[in-house]
Amino acid sequence: MQQRFWGALALAAGLACAAAPVFAQAAKVAPAAKTWTQPKTPWGDPDLQGTWTSDDCIGTPLNRPVNLGDRLYYTEQELAQRESRLEKQRETDSEEFVANNQRVGTGPPAHWGERARRPCKQTSLVVEPANGRTPDLLPEAKARPVPEGAGNNNPKADSYTDFSWYIRCITRGVTGSILPVIYGNGQQIVQAKGYVTILQEMVHEARVIPLDGRPHESSNIRSYMGDARGHWEGNTLVVETTNFLGNRTGIGLNGGGTPTSDALKLVERFTRVGPNEMRYEVTVDDPKTYVAPFKIAFPLTQEPGYRNFEYACHEGNYAMFDSLSGARAKEKAAAEAAAKKGN
Amino acid sequence: MGAPKSCIPLPAAFVILLALGHAQNRTTAQIPRMPDGKPNFTGLWEALGTADWDIRDHSSAPGPFFQLGATGAEPAGQGIVEDGEIPYTPAAAKKQQENYQNRLKLDPEVKCYMPGIPRANYMPFPFQIIQSNKDIAFAYEYATANRVVNMGKFKEGAVDTWMGTSNGHWEGDTLVVDVSSLNGNSWYDRAGNFQTEDTHVVERFTLGDADHINYEATIEDKNIYTRPWKISTVFYRRKEKNAQLNEFKCVEYAEQLIYGDLVKK
Repeated sequence: MQQRFWGALALAAGLACAAAPVFAQAAKVAPAAKTWTQPKTPWGDPDLQGTWTSDDCIGTPLNRPVNLGDRLYYTEQELAQRESRLEKQRETDSEEFVANNQRVGTGPPAHWGERARRPCKQTSLVVEPANGRTPDLLPEAKARPVPEGAGNNNPKADSYTDFSWYIRCITRGVTGSILPVIYGNGQQIVQAKGYVTILQEMVHEARVIPLDGRPHESSNIRSYMGDARGHWEGNTLVVETTNFLGNRTGIGLNGGGTPTSDALKLVERFTRVGPNEMRYEVTVDDPKTYVAPFKIAFPLTQEPGYRNFEYACHEGNYAMFDSLSGARAKEKAAAEAAAKKGN
Repeated sequence: MGAPKSCIPLPAAFVILLALGHAQNRTTAQIPRMPDGKPNFTGLWEALGTADWDIRDHSSAPGPFFQLGATGAEPAGQGIVEDGEIPYTPAAAKKQQENYQNRLKLDPEVKCYMPGIPRANYMPFPFQIIQSNKDIAFAYEYATANRVVNMGKFKEGAVDTWMGTSNGHWEGDTLVVDVSSLNGNSWYDRAGNFQTEDTHVVERFTLGDADHINYEATIEDKNIYTRPWKISTVFYRRKEKNAQLNEFKCVEYAEQLIYGDLVKK
């Protein structure tokens, strides 16, 4: 065990050190991508296999800041600034110990998270409509309660049901499982004749997508991850997913935000554009939640050494125990203080 | 089904011939094959039987809650352990008994924890195998557990996990999967039979015909077993025309059990 632990640490350190040269190398070989042709599996499908990650757009907001208007891409100058910021981050991350003056927190050290390896060119993850913002919510959707996400340090904690489906370690939904967050962005694709499977690192989802043109399941069979059907349009894998449970996850990071409805339909497009880059797009159509459909897009990349780790979330969900027991302890202390005052 | 014989690369054809040589007395069943001639396990599979209740031979028994009546009772069944008994050390045999007494508190299945290997394979839920020209993915319906069998160069697990680290290779038409780096928290069944973080499982998958997988696993762990032991069972292809893997995200069904004491009264 212990030996393995140190082995893992050494591996992690090796990866961190390798990151900078790998980036430089990728930049140098970029022109060769023009001659790249989409490889095929032995049975003739476009071969998308490998482990892909959305890490490069970590930190890019879902909704574009209003002051950027309709501008989807950063300028060359802005990108250079972002690149130098990443460079600085890499230096800080390589420091093994936290600085003496760093505020003591409860989170892990910064280098436990994943980092973008190159700056994301986009100003927002939403690419349509042109303003890069999710369309307005319908009145019925506004009325849906949004459960407590990870951002609130003083959440309502009467019950486990007050928390988001992610905090409960159940799921982040389809879009939540691929949108870039601080870690766990791995998407391992394994193909067989007639199937594409996407194994999503967090929270260990396995989307088995049949390609044989069979109809969707009965609308009486509903699930968090929906019922996916795929087909090829040229070299693009198109996946249509329906049969969602209503009022569970939303389209935000980690499946947060206003929960979508049982009318949600997602159409995703996976297009490999080079040996290590894939274009990902998803059109969100939920006529019971948003006034109009919209599109999210971002690149996925394959990175040397990246592999999915088992994200055993529920099995180690101490956060839920601690949140609930902390809230009960607070109530008890308050009740005792009140009783004391009464005496 | 299989590729025409002329398309099978020479070494693969040689292996097939060897296999045929060994099976002279049996009729050779037609099995689906990959373009390179390897058996193709892609499909939806499920074990029958009652191994998830108890991997040993067992009589029927009442369930723990009378309110469930006959629906909660345990059916009798032939075990899947070869020679009937698990060769526990005396201390391990005692622990199994304690596990059984406290099974509603301790069985990882009750809490919707990932089932580990081999248990994931013979739970009463289907699983999908997706066999590529590279690695082989297993997607289990129960708890959305999954694993990818690495068919490339042997990779040691970086950390211990519930589902372990699976490395596969071919021995003729048999897929052999070495499973290590298990975290030791998994059980084999609802009867408290258990493993440790040093348990090493070697699985063997062989297509008996197009719709049956003969499954064997050899299990070793010097901490708790006096010798290696073996389980064997059969996985059946789900043939219903609308059969597909569904979702069983059971966390929700276990939360009141796990956190109920901490909910505001």
